[in-house]
Amino acid sequence: MSRRVVVSAVSAALLVAGCSAPPPAPNTVAGPPSTAPAASQPGELTSGPLMESSPPVTVSIPKLGVTSTLVDLATEPDGTMQVPDDASTVGWFTGAPSPGALGPAVLAGHVDWKGTKGAFYHLSTLAPGDEVSVTRLDGSRAVFAVNKVGRYPKNQFPTDAVYGPVDHAALRLITCGGEFDSATGHYRDNIVAFADLKQAQPSPAPQPSWPSATTPH
Amino acid sequence: MNLTRAALAALPLAAVALTVPLVAPAPVFAAESVSVELMEMGNTGAKGNATLTPMANGDLKIAIKSTGMTPNSPHAQHLHGSAAGMDFHCPTMRDDKNGNGYISVEEGLPMYGDIFVSLTTSGDTTKASGLAVDRFPTADAQGNLSYERTIPAAQLPAGTIEHIKDLHIVQHGIDANKNGKYDLEALGESTFAKSLGVPNIPEEATDVATCGMVSGAAAGSVPAGGVNTGDGSSLQQSGPDPALIYSVGGAAVLGTLGVAFYRRRKAAQA
Repeated sequence: MSRRVVVSAVSAALLVAGCSAPPPAPNTVAGPPSTAPAASQPGELTSGPLMESSPPVTVSIPKLGVTSTLVDLATEPDGTMQVPDDASTVGWFTGAPSPGALGPAVLAGHVDWKGTKGAFYHLSTLAPGDEVSVTRLDGSRAVFAVNKVGRYPKNQFPTDAVYGPVDHAALRLITCGGEFDSATGHYRDNIVAFADLKQAQPSPAPQPSWPSATTPH
Repeated sequence: MNLTRAALAALPLAAVALTVPLVAPAPVFAAESVSVELMEMGNTGAKGNATLTPMANGDLKIAIKSTGMTPNSPHAQHLHGSAAGMDFHCPTMRDDKNGNGYISVEEGLPMYGDIFVSLTTSGDTTKASGLAVDRFPTADAQGNLSYERTIPAAQLPAGTIEHIKDLHIVQHGIDANKNGKYDLEALGESTFAKSLGVPNIPEEATDVATCGMVSGAAAGSVPAGGVNTGDGSSLQQSGPDPALIYSVGGAAVLGTLGVAFYRRRKAAQA
């Protein structure tokens, strides 16, 4: 069973590496153990709080002063992820779980777009422990804590770490960084912030159509 | 073996009456791929893993790989549980009431719930096919079992996709006396089969080999490469640029050429 738990805290020093630097490898592993419980034990093979699936509505990153409604992102005909149409709006990739549910939820925002600094312009300044909050259609709120921020050349994008299986509710925030390539019209690198769900806040109003979210306590 | 197959296949369908309604599932919110860890039950020596992937059209793709299964033998396998919020889970050896080291159907069913979907290789997937061993996958000579099937949306019980993480995969068929087949000498007669009116089925054929619970989830569809979340249009602006502070020497060059890039970007952006 492939089980990836990305919980390493990478120091900010890694973020000043050169553009051609290889993706930083996860180093220390902290947090929930990745070993499965013995087969003779009942219960969960997952870790941390989990919420039912519900589409995200807004994302808020207090550290960056960013609050944005979310638009749905699918994939382009060439297989790459769609990106938002404007600088200030953040997108949710609908080919992955909803934020708060088991698995990696993926949000993408521009670093800049059409002459404007984008919603994720300062994404690379996030540090381990910073909060990212997502409100969801069922009225609940998923509060994540950043555990790692990395910069990766797009041709060495950490696909498994971003989209692969995890045993907890996770969030990935993606934007661009590094050198701008005039030939392609794109930045050479992606900035990816990895976060884990730390608190599931149920809807303040009763939502009979959704079971109440699991809380961490 | 042929007798066993024939007898199992002939189990009366009335005894496992169809109670699950067949209606299309509600819309899926997010494509995802759910990982299931198939755990050894008792001393079966069998284990494996599976992925359950709801497709955009409501179909459910199932892939299972397990090892240590009774070789050259069919293995009944199902999604067990409920879409009604029941808290089912895989049994433990505390549920081995007769203490023989294995989980029988009678011992396991109260824990993992009734058959929700029969993971057959073809045709019907309802509870009625729960023991249709002629349509279940057969392990190879080394005991490896591989299964893959996409079950159409219309064939799935209501709530399957929404409650996919509440369901469990159970694979049946063990080889307690390690003689490479199901036989009455190992654990005697299947009391479960007998209760359905079919005598002389080896208990080995119906005992639980593995039980799988959800262990993780991944994106259901994986985009190619990186994400083009930027067009360089902030590079001509003054002030610190977080996208550039990493590039040693790159900022000055890019700053000089920024206007040129800005003019080119529109044609280049996807």
